[in-house]
Amino acid sequence: MARFPYGASAAVMAGLAVASGAYLAARRAHKPRYDLRLWTFAKPHADAYLKMLPDFLRKHPGKSVDIQIVAGEAVTSRLQAAFWSNLDVPDLAEVEISWAGSFFRGRLESIGFRDLTERIHQTGLWERIVQARFAPYTTRGRIFGIPHDVHPVMLAYRRDLVEKLGIDVERLRTWDEFVEVGRRVTVPGKRFMMELPPEGLSALEVMLFQRGGGYFDAQGNCTLDNEIAIETMRYYAPLVAGKHRIGNDLGGGQIFTRALEDGYYLFMVAPDWRTKSIEQDVPKVAGRMALMPLPAFHPGGRRTSTWGGTMIGITKRCADPDLAWELIMHLYLNKEALAEQFRGTNILPPARDLWDHPAYDEPRPFWSNQPLGRLYANLAPETPPQYTSPYIGLAKAKLSEALIACVRYYDRYGARGFDGFVRQQMARAAAEVRRQMRRNPYLHENA
Amino acid sequence: MKTPDTLADHAAARPDTRRRRPPRRDKLAPYLFVAPFLILFLVFGAYPLIKSVILAFYITSGPRDQVFVGLENFRFLLTDPDFWKAVRNTVVYTVWSLALQIPLGLGLAVLLNSRWVKGREFFRLAFFSPNLVGQVFVGVLFSVLFVPQYGLVNRFLHATVGAPLDTRWLSEPSLIMPALILTSLWMYAGMHMVYFLAGLQTVERELYEAAQLDGANSWGQFWHVTLPGIRHVLIFVVIISTIGSFQLFELPWVMLGRSPGPDAAGLTIVMYLYINGYVSGDLGYASAVGWTLALGLLAVSLLQLRLSGALRG
Repeated sequence: MARFPYGASAAVMAGLAVASGAYLAARRAHKPRYDLRLWTFAKPHADAYLKMLPDFLRKHPGKSVDIQIVAGEAVTSRLQAAFWSNLDVPDLAEVEISWAGSFFRGRLESIGFRDLTERIHQTGLWERIVQARFAPYTTRGRIFGIPHDVHPVMLAYRRDLVEKLGIDVERLRTWDEFVEVGRRVTVPGKRFMMELPPEGLSALEVMLFQRGGGYFDAQGNCTLDNEIAIETMRYYAPLVAGKHRIGNDLGGGQIFTRALEDGYYLFMVAPDWRTKSIEQDVPKVAGRMALMPLPAFHPGGRRTSTWGGTMIGITKRCADPDLAWELIMHLYLNKEALAEQFRGTNILPPARDLWDHPAYDEPRPFWSNQPLGRLYANLAPETPPQYTSPYIGLAKAKLSEALIACVRYYDRYGARGFDGFVRQQMARAAAEVRRQMRRNPYLHENA
Repeated sequence: MKTPDTLADHAAARPDTRRRRPPRRDKLAPYLFVAPFLILFLVFGAYPLIKSVILAFYITSGPRDQVFVGLENFRFLLTDPDFWKAVRNTVVYTVWSLALQIPLGLGLAVLLNSRWVKGREFFRLAFFSPNLVGQVFVGVLFSVLFVPQYGLVNRFLHATVGAPLDTRWLSEPSLIMPALILTSLWMYAGMHMVYFLAGLQTVERELYEAAQLDGANSWGQFWHVTLPGIRHVLIFVVIISTIGSFQLFELPWVMLGRSPGPDAAGLTIVMYLYINGYVSGDLGYASAVGWTLALGLLAVSLLQLRLSGALRG
């Protein structure tokens, strides 16, 4: 050791460096190999898929599938990073509807998912699935995802309290009728006719989609300042502001549970998935809840809307896209398995021909023995489209700003000058979205 | 051992540096020793820094789609109302945080430096402990405390001052910033206290005795002895608090449900950077934001150093 030029310490350090480097270089990471790897962010989805998987594997001997749960936001950021670095990309991934647009920002050929447009038309999927549900996963005329759901919206309500207050839900056919009753029964601070956030967008979006509006049109143009959007804002803000407000929102989770138990809200927006959350989170109100279609904006108008959604896409890294497609067909269109899944999740599958299964007609004791599946299935064909864009996050932020400004204005000045103010705010929101969109050099390329 | 007796002996004993060069391996040795750091720094430090400067002049969609736009990102940044909202929010947060955290931290330090306080060690640990859990944990904790109708904050305020139970701290835009400032006060006052405690223990006791002899009361001693004695710590705490406040991200991101909150009332500069870079996918624009923030922070820190006289030593 004395002959080592820089002394014993340096010799030990060099030895350790060489030994550890050699170990790392020689060690092969043990990674099980699968023919397909699927990422999902929803545990109920993963649970259902794991039950359906053995049947798929029996039909495809020698093949293997790995289903991984990746946390909601992480699935998006990890997937985006994986696409960018071309490393650790799964073969299939489920993406939540509000994040889907963020994958469509660049050139069409740079999008990490495979273009499924031809497959969808060739296999007849376009005709089987509620077509409006392809809209959020479409950019520049090309479809990159298969919808997992329809998520039609109804109103859930505390049947016991509503009956006690003498409200006949059969007579709440339009929003005007609903609001009129709401002004009668609302007791500010104690009881509100409906869960309506004064700052959040969930209920406003539902109304906007119900009227056929949205953030963007089919071509990806911002529509926040069209007449539908302006009219919706003009209608919504007075419901959550001023002396005659009928709605409020305390928050989600345990707060929502307490509020619903206490009868703080009588009615709330309920897409199919939320009915399961209510069943699980508020068991105390079992048998005292019921569902009704949304009131229409005009007599004979649409009685539903949409809230939430999920797509599945095949990534470009997938080595066997045909097998991946078959897996999607198995998981998303297997009648028996999806009926069983519906019993556990209350989520209506997107293909119309699946809804004639008896599972959708079963009465649900929690919902006062209403046939939950049939109620949603009857409304599902009317589900409006919600078009997307890489700028959906920005558009939501700008609509939120406009909503808050309008609520404050109405709180302070009431109806005086309100129409003009709404128009000005919506124009400002749309202009800001368009200003950002103009910077994107890829967005208007042709497919 | 023979010692040199004459100048000639001295000259002979001195090594001849002109003719004998150090061996090649001696020349290489320092470079070899710093090489591991240097390589890691070049790969993970210098390269990303240089790359981010270059990226700041591109509009990007991920790392592959890039279009050179010159100074357009900076021009857009300076005309984007959201950026200015983020700047305003961040400055408001910074000013209020400094104004509340530093006096409170200093007050706690002075209190817990006094010999007559019993259980000083326990209180020091108690006040410092929020720092041990991190911003994400604190964010989750306070988002529960601030819940309307059933949250502890509203229950307490309702019971003590009759405030309405359904105050929406985290969804009413005008209340979001106060909620964030209160949360960070709970989190950081204890950390500042530790710095000040360290500073207070360096102030010589004789100075207090001299001040007492000169007739200085408690306030006089604090103003003329304590504060000048911990001036260097105070400057340090102000600068790191300012930098930390300008980098605020996790706390509002968690408390506001991974968003800037209604009306973007909780949007900070780093959140703005994150949203543009990792949600919208424009890494070029995010780089421009990052460099603007870095330059802004440098300017603010230099200004603070100049105003405090620290640059004069």
